[in-house]
Amino acid sequence: MSDSRDAAVAAEPDGSEGDGTRPSGADRNDATGSDAEDGNATGAAGDGERNRNATDPAATRSAEPSTEGNHRREVATDRWLGIAGAALALVGLGVLVRQPSLVLAGAVGVGYAVYARTGEAPTPTLAVTRSVSDEAPAPGDEVRVTVRAENAGETALPDLRLVDGVPPGLAVVDGPARVATALRPGAAVTFEYTVRAARGDHEWEPLTAITRDVAGARERTTTLDAPTAIACTPELAAGGDLPLRGLTTVHHGRVPTDVGGAGVEFHATREYRRGDPLKRIDWNRRARTGELSTVELREERAATVVLLVDARESAYVAADPDAETAVEASVAAAGQAFSALLDGGDRVGIAALSPLDCWLPPGSGTVHAARGRETLATDPALAPTPSGERFYRSLWLRRFRRRLPGDAQVLFFTPLVDDTAATLARRIDAHGHLVTVLSPDPTTTETAGRRLTAFERRQRLRTLRSAGIRALEWGDDSFPVAVAAATRRWSR
Amino acid sequence: MVAVAVGLLAALDRGIAAAVSPTSAVVTLLGVLGVVQGVRYANARRDRRRLLTEPGEPERRAPAAVPGSALDERIARAADPAPGGYRDRRDLRDRAREIAVDAVARDRNCSREAAATAVGDGTWTDDPAAAAFFGRRAEYPLRVRLSAGIRGRSNYWYGLRAAIDEIERIEEGEP
Repeated sequence: MSDSRDAAVAAEPDGSEGDGTRPSGADRNDATGSDAEDGNATGAAGDGERNRNATDPAATRSAEPSTEGNHRREVATDRWLGIAGAALALVGLGVLVRQPSLVLAGAVGVGYAVYARTGEAPTPTLAVTRSVSDEAPAPGDEVRVTVRAENAGETALPDLRLVDGVPPGLAVVDGPARVATALRPGAAVTFEYTVRAARGDHEWEPLTAITRDVAGARERTTTLDAPTAIACTPELAAGGDLPLRGLTTVHHGRVPTDVGGAGVEFHATREYRRGDPLKRIDWNRRARTGELSTVELREERAATVVLLVDARESAYVAADPDAETAVEASVAAAGQAFSALLDGGDRVGIAALSPLDCWLPPGSGTVHAARGRETLATDPALAPTPSGERFYRSLWLRRFRRRLPGDAQVLFFTPLVDDTAATLARRIDAHGHLVTVLSPDPTTTETAGRRLTAFERRQRLRTLRSAGIRALEWGDDSFPVAVAAATRRWSR
Repeated sequence: MVAVAVGLLAALDRGIAAAVSPTSAVVTLLGVLGVVQGVRYANARRDRRRLLTEPGEPERRAPAAVPGSALDERIARAADPAPGGYRDRRDLRDRAREIAVDAVARDRNCSREAAATAVGDGTWTDDPAAAAFFGRRAEYPLRVRLSAGIRGRSNYWYGLRAAIDEIERIEEGEP
């Protein structure tokens, strides 16, 4: 907890304003005494905190400003439903059989029915703070989260349940992210839990507070916002040497081309031209035939590569509901490819096949490397959970093509679980950008439907390969291992 | 309501109170009324579920979808022995047929048309249930129909399972 920092607490804006705008109401309540004030507070509860604070005396006991609550719903829990009926039936039975004891027992039931009808679920006026032990953890680190809620209101909360809004991309590894307690005015409750950090920008959702009256007959749900976020940016490790295809730029690099020039690998011989360097003259041929000729070597150039990560909702799949999704696997692999290609002198860009826009133009250098790492880690389009927005394929393709440099090739990371990904790969390829499909395998073979899906995916891979698109899949083995195996298979 | 009105009137006017004298018949009637109404009110609880806010499980990470689980649900619907779901059944069969045709075409190194013919007339497999699943004329073997009848499943379900097993066998037979 060394780096502990309090999350920003939304200050209650209505307190002073309420006092200013409704002085007469406050005066009237003060004049009529505390009973009337209580009644007014309960009556105004449905309108949320604004009115409650307006009727509060100006001097608040708590120094901490209360967190603004967002009233969600108030319901009758039906906990005591039917108790009046049971009491009536008991009384009726007592009358029928002329047994006073039964009538008396029924009267007890009436008491419960009255008890259930008294009271109102209080509106919680809580000051909530949330702090995390580390705001920028590494993936896999455990982050301790401490939530403190203080009853900053005037009324006691006889039954309060707080459920924290843990980000959907994070799993709690220790302790429940909730607490149930009763809080008198001024009292506070603190609970702690631990989450395991995973790649991405994780923002906490509002804390949910559920309050009930003493009998538990009415229940009120309120959400309290205490913004907290952690950003988890994995280090990029170069993973193997990625074999690129022959489409390159004019810059020197490491991708062998079919262009003769300076390099290391033999390409062709041609007639000697004045000015050719002496060491490139084919002296053997000169000795044999007396002609001067020059050896051309395969020129190695740099490529422009765009890493395209499939992050549509359909790509958030995994072999097991609790396992890492295919998007995670794709992003991790894209990170390895990114640093490997940058190290090789290629210009690398990043794009996401996602309803949200994500585009890092191809570039090189250390600043670009940092930007790429940031994009892969925290771009909303590559978030650990789907955004839920609609994806328009043709719109996306039009925009992508407009941005894609003419000499760029595409490394397309997709689980290939639907036809759209395969179609897009072929369309991009047809537009003259060489495409390599790199596919994490999320399929399993447990049930009939899963097996059918696995067959279909395998068929898609075959169709892509027969269309001249390089495709590589990796499942349990790591991405670099799969790349190494595929490199042996592919001839350049 | 009537009882309340009568009660009020009785309280106001002694004459009415005298008319409704607490004879044993009236008391019995009131008792029966109380029991019946009470049981009626209490019964309201029976088919009502308690309305509690479900906070869910924020501690768990948002579960990932498993590829094919949606298809599994469709299969369950289609394979329900109850009548209906014809379209689901046809769609699924077409989907499986595509995969089977591709697998056979690759396995026998023949055209897709030839493979489609083989799948259609059932000569693509030795398994009679798988053959009957895609076949136009073939019948499910008696063994399948018997076990489907006993276990309360449809022939379709057995056919689909057999077809998928057969496709897998062909796929894995590949070098």
